[in-house]
Amino acid sequence: MRMPFDASEDLPDEDLLARFAGGDAAAARILTLRLTPRVMAHAWRLLGNRAEAEDVTQEAMLRLWKQAPAWRDGEAKVTTWLYRVVANLCIDRQRRARGGTLTLDAIPEPADDRASVTEAMQDRARAEALQAALNALPARQRQAVVLRHIDGLSNPEIAEVMEITVEAVESLTARGKRALQAMLAERKEELGYADEI
Amino acid sequence: MPMKSDDHDHAALEAFFHAARRTAPAPSEDMLARVLADAETVRTAAQVRRPGTARRARLRDRLGGWPAMAGLATATLAGLWIGAALPARITGDDAPAYIVDITPEMAFDLAGGGY
Repeated sequence: MRMPFDASEDLPDEDLLARFAGGDAAAARILTLRLTPRVMAHAWRLLGNRAEAEDVTQEAMLRLWKQAPAWRDGEAKVTTWLYRVVANLCIDRQRRARGGTLTLDAIPEPADDRASVTEAMQDRARAEALQAALNALPARQRQAVVLRHIDGLSNPEIAEVMEITVEAVESLTARGKRALQAMLAERKEELGYADEI
Repeated sequence: MPMKSDDHDHAALEAFFHAARRTAPAPSEDMLARVLADAETVRTAAQVRRPGTARRARLRDRLGGWPAMAGLATATLAGLWIGAALPARITGDDAPAYIVDITPEMAFDLAGGGY
């Protein structure tokens, strides 16, 4: 979806949300294009199911629009708030799902068009193996590992999202990574990564 | 220097995280359109819930915009000033003024007329 250039595209999320609350439709367009891909990718990492991730994304963004008039400047970052809402929505969905798990989708094609066919296949195989291992982690470990190592948040930011201490974040990510290494090592022959894990 | 086991493990796992970042699913056009439609619904509903602003704007426009509003304000202030200042000029500062409006029949009785 292409939109005309606007100087407000450089504004922080919080300023754009304030503009939206004041009735600015253009601010909603910029926020949608900026935040929806991040929210969607995060939801998909936590759920492993595209249709469910899309529903969660739409619901999280709807809650953001409704929250806009009550948003207090300096209270929290929009992205921190969104990650928290997404995690809560994902937990609700997983609880409601039969047997506590959702049907898992195949990993999408790599987003980078420059990747060669071999690289693309390798990325896809690795991402599939990682996602399968992530799905086997306890929900809080999975959330912490995804936020830290895929979404790229700092430990203090993750602590704010998960409403826990930084030490607890470090503990969750360390245990999560150990579990991932163990699970991926079990599949190293199958995946052909014997030299790497 | 040989790579320590922890570093090796971290590097190997990082290759998987890197692959995951490169294969993030992108939202479809339809999905983005749905999110935008929700935003528009919320924005429109918020404007309906703030009728004061819209009503004031409509009234201002019907009266002829800001120049007409300024003229109206001036006329209102002038009316207030005339109302407050003129009775003193008419009656004098020391004389109380009684303005009694009576019907013609009452005026006849007071003048001693009648049967």
